[in-house]
Parts: sequence; C-alpha cells; structure tokens
Amino acid sequence: MDFNISDEVKLMQESVRDWFKRNLPLDKMREIDQKGHPMPKEVIEGLAGLGVIMGVIPEERGGQGLNWFKQAAIAEEIGYGDPTAACAAAFMAVMTGWGFTLDRYASEGIRRDFIRPAIAGKKFIGIATTEPGGGSDVAGFKSKAEKSGKNWILNGEKTFISGVEECKLWGGGYWVNVRTGPAPAGAAHKNMTSFFVPIDAPGVEMTECYRDAGRMAISTAGFTMTNVKVPDDYRLGEEGKGFYYTMEGFDNARILIGASSVGITQRVIDEAIPYIKERKTFGIPLAKNEGIQFELSDIYKEMEASRLMYQKTAWMQDIRYDEEGWLERKGKAKTFQPTDIAKWIAMLKWKAPALALHAAERAMLWLGAAGYTDEYPFQMAWRGVMSYVVGAEGGQNIQKIVIGRELLGNEFVPYK
Amino acid sequence: MRIIVCVKQVPDTTEVEIDPKTGTIIREGVPSMLNPFDEFALNEAIRIRGTGQIEIVALTMGPPQAEEALFKCLAIGADRAVLLSDRAFAGSDTWATSLALSRAIEAVGDYCAVFCGHQATDGDTAQVGPEIARQLGIPQMTYVEKVEELDGKSVTCLKETDEGYVRLKAKLPALVACISPSSFVPIIPKMGQILKAKKKTIEKWGADKVAKPGDKFGLDGSPTQVVKTYPPPKKKGGGVKISDPPDAAVRKLVEYLRKEGLVR
Ligand SMILES: Cc1cc2nc3c(=O)[nH]c(=O)nc-3n(C[C@H](O)[C@H](O)[C@H](O)COP(=O)(O)OP(=O)(O)OC[C@H]3O[C@@H](n4cnc5c(N)ncnc54)[C@H](O)[C@@H]3O)c2cc1C
Ligand SMILES: Cc1cc2nc3c(=O)[nH]c(=O)nc-3n(C[C@H](O)[C@H](O)[C@H](O)COP(=O)(O)OP(=O)(O)OC[C@H]3O[C@@H](n4cnc5c(N)ncnc54)[C@H](O)[C@@H]3O)c2cc1C
Repeated sequence: MDFNISDEVKLMQESVRDWFKRNLPLDKMREIDQKGHPMPKEVIEGLAGLGVIMGVIPEERGGQGLNWFKQAAIAEEIGYGDPTAACAAAFMAVMTGWGFTLDRYASEGIRRDFIRPAIAGKKFIGIATTEPGGGSDVAGFKSKAEKSGKNWILNGEKTFISGVEECKLWGGGYWVNVRTGPAPAGAAHKNMTSFFVPIDAPGVEMTECYRDAGRMAISTAGFTMTNVKVPDDYRLGEEGKGFYYTMEGFDNARILIGASSVGITQRVIDEAIPYIKERKTFGIPLAKNEGIQFELSDIYKEMEASRLMYQKTAWMQDIRYDEEGWLERKGKAKTFQPTDIAKWIAMLKWKAPALALHAAERAMLWLGAAGYTDEYPFQMAWRGVMSYVVGAEGGQNIQKIVIGRELLGNEFVPYK
Repeated sequence: MRIIVCVKQVPDTTEVEIDPKTGTIIREGVPSMLNPFDEFALNEAIRIRGTGQIEIVALTMGPPQAEEALFKCLAIGADRAVLLSDRAFAGSDTWATSLALSRAIEAVGDYCAVFCGHQATDGDTAQVGPEIARQLGIPQMTYVEKVEELDGKSVTCLKETDEGYVRLKAKLPALVACISPSSFVPIIPKMGQILKAKKKTIEKWGADKVAKPGDKFGLDGSPTQVVKTYPPPKKKGGGVKISDPPDAAVRKLVEYLRKEGLVR
C-alpha cells in the first residue's frame, strides 16, 4: 500500500491544469457558460491533443494506455479547470468512460471510423440509453431493433442525451440500447442489445435541445430513430447482452464523474479561501467566523475522503481490467467482484457530486453577493454539478439502491 | 552533437523562508518546481534543434529528489537526463557548483552548446552560467531572450540590454544563459510524452564519475561561505491595497494619486 502520487501522475495533472489556465481561464469559461452550446471545437481538439480524451484506451487501439487511476487523476483536473462540469461531462464521463467501454465491444470498422477520430478530437461519440418512458427504469425502454438480412432496423426515441448537437456538427455517433426481444417481467435486463448508430444515418432525427440549468457548453437533446438501418457489424458484443455492457459503461463513467467532482470541490475551495481571508466584516475577516471556518473544514474533510474514494475505486477497476483484459474480456475478475466494485463506484457517484454541489452552495453564502455573481465560478459549478445529482449517469437514489443491494441482497431491491 | 541544458529544481514559492537557526532555506513542505528560466532554456534548445540530429541532455546537480525536475525535462522533450548527486557536493557555492557542472558537461561530452537559465529563483545569483563558461573556457552570452540560429559552427542570439536588443554571434561550443520574455509560452507535456519520459532512466552520477585530480567540491571547494542568511525586514504599514475589478481599481488609484498630490 502506497499513498504517494507518482511524479508521472503529478506531471499529468500539472499539464492539464496548465492547459486550462492557458486556454480556458475563468473569463473564457464565463463566456462559454453564457453563450452555451455547441462546445467550441478548439476545446475538444486541444484536450484531445493533450492525450486526455480516452487516454485509458490501450495504445494498440489508438489511446495512450493509461489506467483508471491516471485517467481519474486527469478527470479531477478537468473538473478543476472547468468547474461548470461541461468538459468533464462531455469528454471524461461520456467520451472516455463510455468510449473506452465501447471500444471493448466494437468492431474494427467502428473503431476505425468513429473511435479513433474521436480520440483525435475530430468526432463525438456518446451514449443513448435514456428514453421518454424510462431513465432509471430499464424496463421502460421501448426502442427496438429487428433483424433484416445482414442488417438491423432500429426504431424508437432517445432523450436527455449529452452532446447531440456537437455530434451532428462534428460527426460521430451513439452507443444505443434497444430491445431485440420482449422484456420478461422481473428480468427486464434480458433481450437488451447495444448498437452503434452514426448520427447521420438516414432515419435519425435530432430533437430540440433542452435549456438545461447548467453545464451550458455541452448540449442535451434527443433523437428519434425511424427505420434506421445499421449493419450487423454495428452491433456491440453479443445479442441480448447489452445490459451488462451498459453497466460496465456506467461504472467507468461514474468513476470519472466522481473524480471530476472532487476537482470541482477543490476549485471552489481554492477560489473561496483568498476572499474569506481578505474580506472583513464587523472588523474581522470572514474566515475568522466559526460559522464559515467550520463549514470550510467540513467540506475539506469530505473532499479528501472523496479523493481517497475515487483513487481506491479507480485502483480496484485497474485490477479488474488487469484480470479481465484491457482490450476485451478474456479472463474473469478475481480479486474484486465487479458487483463489489460497483458498490464503491455507487458510493463515489453519490458522495462526490453531492459534495461539490454543497461546496458551491456554501461558498456562495460565505462570499455573500459577490459569490452569487459570475465573478466567481460558484454558481456555474452549482448549476453544472447538479446534473450529476439529478440524474446524469444515474440518479442519486439509484446509487443508494446499488449499495443496498450489495449489503442486503437482491431480494431487498426496493422496486422488485 | 549535443546541447546540454543545466537545470535546477527550486522551491515553488515567491517567498523563500529561511531557518533562523541554520541560516539555510527551508525546503521541507515547500513544493518544488523546475526553475522557470531553465524551463525557457530547455524550450529554446528544443525549438532551435528543430528536426536536426542534435541530442538534448538535461543536467542538474542536486539532491535525489531533483529527479522530479529532470523527469519534467524529459517529458518536455529532453532526450537524456543526468542527475549529479553526491554528499561531496553539499555546501557548494556558485564556484564549486559550476566546477561540478562543467566536469559533468565534459563527461557528457560532444556538446555544441550549454544552455542555462539566467538565474535560479532561489539563489538568484546569476553566477553559475558565466562561471561554467569560464571553467570550460568557452564563450558566453547572457540575457538571451531568443536563440536565433544554431549551425555547425556558430550560435546567434538576441540579448536584452537596457538600451534594446543586441545580436550576438559566438563560435561553438558556447554557453547561452537565457532569460524568458513575457511572451514565452512553455511546452505543455502531453500525456504520451509523459508516458515516454517514464520509460527513460535518469542517469545518476556521483563525484567520482566526473572529478579530475585536484578537484575540490562542496564546502571545501567553495571560496565563499554563507555567514548569515536572513529574510529582508518586512515592510510595515504604508501603501493602500486596492482590490476591485480593473476598471474600478484604476479609477480608485488615480483618485488616490491625485489626493496625495503625486499626479496632477
Ligand atoms: C444533463 C443531463 C445529461 C444527460 N445525458 C445523458 C446521456 O448522454 N445519455 C443518456 O442515456 N442519458 C443521459 N441523461 C439521462 C440520465 O441518465 C437520466 O436522467 C437518469 O437515468 C435518470 O432518469 P430520469 O431523468 O428519466 O429520471 P427518472 O428515472 O424518472 O427518476 C426521477 C427521480 O426519481 C429517482 N428514482 C427513480 N427510481 C427510483 C427508485 N426506484 N427509488 C428511489 N428513487 C428513484 C431518481 O433518482 C430521480 O431522482 C442525462 C441527464 C442529464 C440531467
Ligand atoms: C543564499 C544562499 C543560500 C544557500 N544555501 C545553501 C544550502 O543551504 N546548501 C547548499 O548546499 N548550498 C547552498 N547554497 C549554494 C547553492 O546551492 C548554489 O549557489 C546553487 O547551486 C547555485 O544557485 P544560484 O541560484 O546561485 O545559481 P545561479 O547562478 O543563479 O544559476 C544560474 C543558472 O545556472 C544553472 N544552475 C545553477 N545551479 C544548477 C544546478 N545545481 N544544476 C544545474 N544547473 C544549475 C541553471 O541553469 C541556473 O538557471 C546557497 C546559496 C545561496 C546564494
């Protein structure tokens, strides 16, 4: 056991921090937050150039061959650099968490035409599980695919999907879950199959963008699929196994969300401290008031706990992939059961974004009116990180259900 | 052909604290960084090398943890890194430091130029570079803001002076002490470069590897000794701090200067 962070990881974090200082300082961030999506193309190209987008994909597949520990450390800095969470959501959770998982189950053609260009910052790849009839509730999925010769015909609608506008603009596509058979009662995860659907495939129609509360630089929209034809080659992994691949994707995305939320909390603290030390009311600095100081201490304590939590979780995931194989699943996880890792991931996904939200809210209160303006990034962080609490990559309550399931057993899952 | 870049790890702080008992700089708990002028020198070396066959060697004399600074140099683009570290170097003043470094430069060999920073942000003497040139018996150029050309025979540099710029040309091998202009945009190491740097080994040399008969390093080889070190007395009172957004701050400053009769 060694809690030292290596020179290598430190330098990676330093590079990301320097990149944001140079390319997206606070005034630029404020501008992007006000202007809203689409995300400027320079941002994805710059981050891709640094090698941080899907850096965890093995070198032979065009990535950097990082591991989850390093990728998560990078995600922390991306949260720090862009506390609105737009970059973390688009490029870490979605493109990297899901992109890595997609690469494991995709055909060579998808890798060549979509994943590699996305690693280079030229295309967008995302995830589309949520439907009008169901986000948390997998059984509510209605989209379906039917086999037709060597092709599949997809029909349905996906909603609250990150990056649809950017995907249309830059090219790319989505990991899409559909039914390829009925949803048996109590076993709704059966007969779910995953496909890759290019955004420009005939029959794919983007729906209007939502006006979200936060992370304004990345779009949230939906798309309908009307008789969309994709080759069998665009099926991910085995037919009917989509649920399992999807859980793996969620796991990877959630680790990066946890880590980037720690970065957001750190940024909030770093921005707040100089002000509360400097500003005096009733003759003493704000920071001398226990009502403020003790809250700061509490948030700091929770942040360090969250940081240890993401580090441990990423470390467990690294051991899992060392055992299962990084390119594709060859072996079985031995040291940690994937369900046990999922429990840690759920704890992280619950704790870290909620803490960042709390920190941003408290910082606004500590600073008073100044904290409520966009001179400081608190309100942008607060609006952005709320997306992780309400639902993006799984709502907070769903994390509690995962933890409860691991502690109590499947028969205690509330909705079963 | 090689460019040897001398780099130093310095405390990452603007206010160096000094232990009042021992008179030495407190390094514990202070994060370290690559001396910014040295980072510029390395960037210049990489830029001027272009696609040529010149090897860049980063060299530092320092404690074992100075490896961290060398690791960054490798990630930025140095081909090799040498750490000169030995108890025998402890207590070196600038002369003893430059002797050790020049011996190491000779041991690396086949160099066309030695690049240094103008000064290290902790010691701030700006002596080591020129002293290395003296020890090696090669020409030196100081206050260099830009290395303009490096061919097989000579190096041309732009030197900053109080009056303006001077273009200097020296026969190789030569020493160039660099001072970064405000426009300097350092290379940010990419993840791939960091991973590649990790695969390289940092060469560790002791005094016996570089010493020539009669060489004296460390305290023994130092004609000067630090008698006492103390931080300058803190300025008390005076001054007014304005911390408003730029527009308002400028207005307040002008108001203040007028009130004090400092401007009309
Ligand atoms: C900004 C943003 C971006 C998004 N991007 C994507 C994307 O790129 N791709 C994608 O597929 N989806 C995306 N989503 C959708 C996200 O995955 C869903 O919001 C999430 O799965 C929750 O689904 P829902 O919104 O339909 O809420 P519902 O499932 O309707 O749930 C509503 C609330 O009830 C809670 N809840 C639900 N079931 C239970 C239960 N059994 N017990 C207790 N509480 C429960 C939930 O936690 C939630 O708070 C995004 C969402 C947001 C906000
Ligand atoms: C106030 C003070 C306190 C000191 N305290 C100690 C002490 O406690 N213990 C101790 O051992 N020594 C001490 N020294 C000596 C010190 O280590 C040397 O003077 C030092 O190596 C040179 O630093 P400088 O900032 O004076 O160099 P400068 O002459 O300012 O450096 C110019 C350039 O020379 C190059 N260079 C300088 N040093 C190195 C190096 N080590 N490796 C590679 N390139 C280099 C760099 O390119 C640098 O930018 C002290 C010196 C001073 C002035």
